[in-house]
Amino acid sequence: MIRFENVTKIFSRGTIPAVSNLNIEIPEGTICCMVGPSGCGKTTSMKMVNRLHSITEGKIYIDEVDNSTIDPISLRLDIGYVIQEIGLFPHMTIADNVATVLVEKKWPKQEIGKRVDELLELMGLEPKIYRQRRPSHLSGGQRQRVGVARAMAANPPIMLMDEPFGAVDHIARVRLQNEFLTLQEKISKTIIFVTHDIDEAIKMGDMIAVMREGKLVQYSTPEDLLSTPADEFVANLVGGNRSIKRLHLIRVSEILNRKVATVNMSDTLEAAKKHVIENAFNVVYVVSDTGVLNGFIGKVELKQEGEFVKDVYRSYPEIISDEATLSDALSVMLSNGESYVPVVDDFEHPLGAVSLEDVFKAVRQDD
Amino acid sequence: MGASRFEFRDVWEYITSNQDYLIRLMIQHAHLVFFAIVLGVVIGITLGFLSAYYKPVAAVVLPFAQIMMTVPSIALIGILLPFVGLGFNNGLVALTLYSLLPIIRNTYTGLNEISPSILEAARGMGLSERRILWRIKLPLVLPVVFAGIRTAIVMIVGIGAIASYVGAGGLGDLIFRGIARMRPVMILTGAIFISIIAIFLDIIMGWIERKLIARQT
Repeated sequence: MIRFENVTKIFSRGTIPAVSNLNIEIPEGTICCMVGPSGCGKTTSMKMVNRLHSITEGKIYIDEVDNSTIDPISLRLDIGYVIQEIGLFPHMTIADNVATVLVEKKWPKQEIGKRVDELLELMGLEPKIYRQRRPSHLSGGQRQRVGVARAMAANPPIMLMDEPFGAVDHIARVRLQNEFLTLQEKISKTIIFVTHDIDEAIKMGDMIAVMREGKLVQYSTPEDLLSTPADEFVANLVGGNRSIKRLHLIRVSEILNRKVATVNMSDTLEAAKKHVIENAFNVVYVVSDTGVLNGFIGKVELKQEGEFVKDVYRSYPEIISDEATLSDALSVMLSNGESYVPVVDDFEHPLGAVSLEDVFKAVRQDD
Repeated sequence: MGASRFEFRDVWEYITSNQDYLIRLMIQHAHLVFFAIVLGVVIGITLGFLSAYYKPVAAVVLPFAQIMMTVPSIALIGILLPFVGLGFNNGLVALTLYSLLPIIRNTYTGLNEISPSILEAARGMGLSERRILWRIKLPLVLPVVFAGIRTAIVMIVGIGAIASYVGAGGLGDLIFRGIARMRPVMILTGAIFISIIAIFLDIIMGWIERKLIARQT
């Protein structure tokens, strides 16, 4: 847990405080997004937690310990730190970069190697390939992953992330965000996540702290922020399309209640026909022997020549996982040109489907 | 007239008939350059680091090194006479002073050009200033410093010839004697040998520099 108590930061005497009288409590295992325009004090607030900036007035408590009583070096070694520019060390291999804090903490060599491989695997970077590479040989997204792996190396309970996915393109950013949220479910870190992008804050944050000119304007859950913005500033920040933003908040798994029957590749079309007629979208899923979703058969496919499912089935251009948001679901529907979208689990086994109607209902309910 | 005319055959003849003498001069020359560069590296890197860490030091050291370069070598040797007298020491001090600028300047700019985000990440993760120096700054600045050392070496191998004017020895002896006796063969032999040493060292240093850079990318 991190608690800001009446925290004020003044950079030089007589000037306006960069942060004034900030009070926030960030519960253990949650992500707090600090959001606001540049110069609002969000990064300054974050940097006072690991004492990169000193506190002018007030206290920051980490697990009830006043952080000004902890030696800054050992404080920082126990707090993960990720910045937008990542700041990988260009003269070190990926493995050495990730091991930075472990070396400082004097871990035995063997354990460092094991931990580094574990982290690279966790971030989806095959250790055998990437261990000995240099940062200059990685793509932007891969560097961000290494940056996060490096910050998590010593398994710190707290992480400070300053626009950690800011330096990559939109598609890579969405992927990194989703991966990180899935990861967070496993690791449950207490995280301060600084961003200027309100959409990112709504997606990533368990709580959102909106700041302006050094002051906290609103501290609430993303849902409350969208439904009851504290003032005009927050309302403007959140923007006009609040129902659309709410789509980012709801996960497919929360509203998934439609089952779709499945047939095997070797089944006859006759068997498939029965399911197609019964199904609300007039489809039946086609799965492989291992249960992986291969495609579907609808009314159009039934009319085609062939005796077996494998002769006529069509595969989906895109499918989504149950971790995806409703906004993801909606965009896949648009690109597939169907009024529903197939939902699969991590092994691509079909879980069911979400329809346009389901999406509407979920947003309306939220109102 | 005969004294000022020569053919390359004469140079070759001179070299083959004075081998021992030439080797002795080359060793003297290399000896002088070696100790000057060692001193230059130690002092230059130290001053470069101090300049990068402390602005007031930079304000004194950088202009000083710059001015040093503009003093003609023959004048510098003369200026040093009252302080270090004649001989090896005079040459050593002069060459060391000349080697400073490229080393200081490369160390200083190399350190200043390390991306601030790298240093912020290091600091934020809990590396102390001393650890940042050892683990981040030194390895990152090494190839740049090395390039400076390489420039300095090539430069002072050439300037080293002047040092024999105050009795520091070296291949400059050949040139000064050649001038005094009006024997172009000696002047040319000295010049050729100095060039060979400079080119040889430059190639070796270039090779090491490339290895250093390759190790980091």
